[in-house]
Amino acid sequence: MSLADFIDIWLWRFALTVFVVGAAWRVLAMLATGRPKDLSTPRASAAAGGWHALFSRFLPRPEMAGRERLHVIGGYLFHLGLFALLFLAAPHVDFYRERLFGVGWVALPNWAFILAAEAAFLGLLLLWLHRVLNPVTRLISKTGDHAASVLTFLVMLTGCLALARAHESLRLLHFFMVELFMIYFPFSSLMHSITFAFSRAAIGAHYGRRGVKT
Amino acid sequence: MTVDMNLFRGFVEQIKMLPSMAQPTDYPDSDRVAAAKHVFAEKLDSRMASHLEACVHCGICADACHYYVQSGDPYYTPIRKIEPLMRYYRREKGAFRWLNRMFESDISEADLEQWQPLVYDSCTECGRCSFACPQGVDIASMVVVMRQALANAGLIPAGLRAVEQEQGSRGTVFGVGGEQLMQAVEALREKGHEVPVDKEKADVLVLSSTLDVLLFNDALESTVRVMNHLGLNWTIHTCAFEGANFGMLSGLEKVQKAASERITREAIRCGARYVIVPECGHSYPALRWDGANEHGEPLPFEVLAISEFLGREVMAGRLKLRPVGEGRRITYHDPCKVGRHGGVFEEPRAVLRELGLDVREMPASREMNYCCGGGAGLFLIESARRNRDMGFDLKREQVEATGAESLVTACGSCRLNFLAGADRVHWDRGIESLVELVGQALPEEPPAS
Repeated sequence: MSLADFIDIWLWRFALTVFVVGAAWRVLAMLATGRPKDLSTPRASAAAGGWHALFSRFLPRPEMAGRERLHVIGGYLFHLGLFALLFLAAPHVDFYRERLFGVGWVALPNWAFILAAEAAFLGLLLLWLHRVLNPVTRLISKTGDHAASVLTFLVMLTGCLALARAHESLRLLHFFMVELFMIYFPFSSLMHSITFAFSRAAIGAHYGRRGVKT
Repeated sequence: MTVDMNLFRGFVEQIKMLPSMAQPTDYPDSDRVAAAKHVFAEKLDSRMASHLEACVHCGICADACHYYVQSGDPYYTPIRKIEPLMRYYRREKGAFRWLNRMFESDISEADLEQWQPLVYDSCTECGRCSFACPQGVDIASMVVVMRQALANAGLIPAGLRAVEQEQGSRGTVFGVGGEQLMQAVEALREKGHEVPVDKEKADVLVLSSTLDVLLFNDALESTVRVMNHLGLNWTIHTCAFEGANFGMLSGLEKVQKAASERITREAIRCGARYVIVPECGHSYPALRWDGANEHGEPLPFEVLAISEFLGREVMAGRLKLRPVGEGRRITYHDPCKVGRHGGVFEEPRAVLRELGLDVREMPASREMNYCCGGGAGLFLIESARRNRDMGFDLKREQVEATGAESLVTACGSCRLNFLAGADRVHWDRGIESLVELVGQALPEEPPAS
């Protein structure tokens, strides 16, 4: 078995399995902790509060905007840029069609792809600099938070190197980094890209039944 | 209307003596950790698990915390306050606990002691951080669990512990029980007010608090006047009048349940349809949100904060008020436990508008209102004085930004911290109670029906 086959086939299957099973297991374990029934009389709808929080927290509160400007800018740049790269970059759309779903969709034009990549890099850099320079984030950050940032950066960097599709070795290097990322994902804070929805819905429902919009 | 500042200062001096009155709680080290973990195991549900799984350590919560905003010290970062709970979850409950145990150290007795000032002195459970978190992590709810764990491990700060022990053993708070309530009632009767005490049957059970009996007598008098003015079939009970719940504030659940159940049982016995909670912030969630869960079934009566009750009466047109100081500039401080944790925002503002006051909102108000700085029992913790002062200083800036001449609130605990801060810096703004304002503005004639 060649190195290319190992990365393209065997490690990919292993990474995909760890990613799917690991993430599902982590969510199931979270939900399995159960929850006692709240016997107090609600003032308003918990479900409405949950849905509201799920979307409202994409925007910073006006009262906080002045204090968290770097977070807001870095956060939007990184997450929107990464989302565009992950789901709308032409090589990725091709990959999803050929290797995963059997169907593709319209990809971003090249200029938009470059813009998204620059935004994602800038955003990630801002967030990581903030993490290491700000006294608060420096105090509360764990090794895993830095590992997640570094791994994400390497995936994006190798992705840029592989962009021209000129060298097979560069494509394999990027794919290898993606596989490492997928294996690390369920064990790390990268899981927040799934668990955020549960957390937001939970807080929205909790305060929503008290008649407070969060 | 005005508080006797000499009486207030005497009260503050008494509070300083509380630690010497606390009974010691000696636990072997291993028992403390086991006791804390027992609470974590019991309280950690899927809602909290989702929060613990979603945190990315972004630190935005710090920017929401009044103590961090004022000091710039990362020590106060809210998410840090729940770190032992986070560690417990990752090691004992999370999906990959077998893996996490290799990298995360277990909670030690030293950890619990180290977290005591973070959880008690440095957090009022105001919940502002929970509302700022982009991930929706409800840090305040988890600080409540942290307090419950430390309380179970015998680590309640001495000042708070003294009052919790008093309420838990004798049912009184600062020595105020039924006898002291009757003295206050007799004083009101001498003024000509009818005060129905210990009635067999009543539609409305009115609660009071030690603060109103000892310090804010006008709040109690105004409540009595409103009830009589509206012609309600009401009562106050000598054995179940105390709204304050130091079991809840300290984190000791058995004391919380006993205090809450005393009221619930009496309300059911007298057939009350409504229980009116006084101007005492945490009294409201203690009964309104936790009461049914302590009781084990939904409560057969409605729990209303006095500010909520007054607002509902005004909004329904049943309570008409005379304008007082028309056009006077005031701002309203939402007590965190009634507003952010209770959803009571519109009702007090409706009352203030009915009073003809020029109501100005602070730069951060309603859901994002800053705490007074002394809530959740901090006023009883001497080592938290610097933090209380920081909280007040931030609040003072917020009030002054509105140009208001006076600050109105509906929580005795908030008033305490505002009065202490105002006394310290010789602040020239008034600090007023909503129910006292209403008491002044009642028309001579009772409502038509």
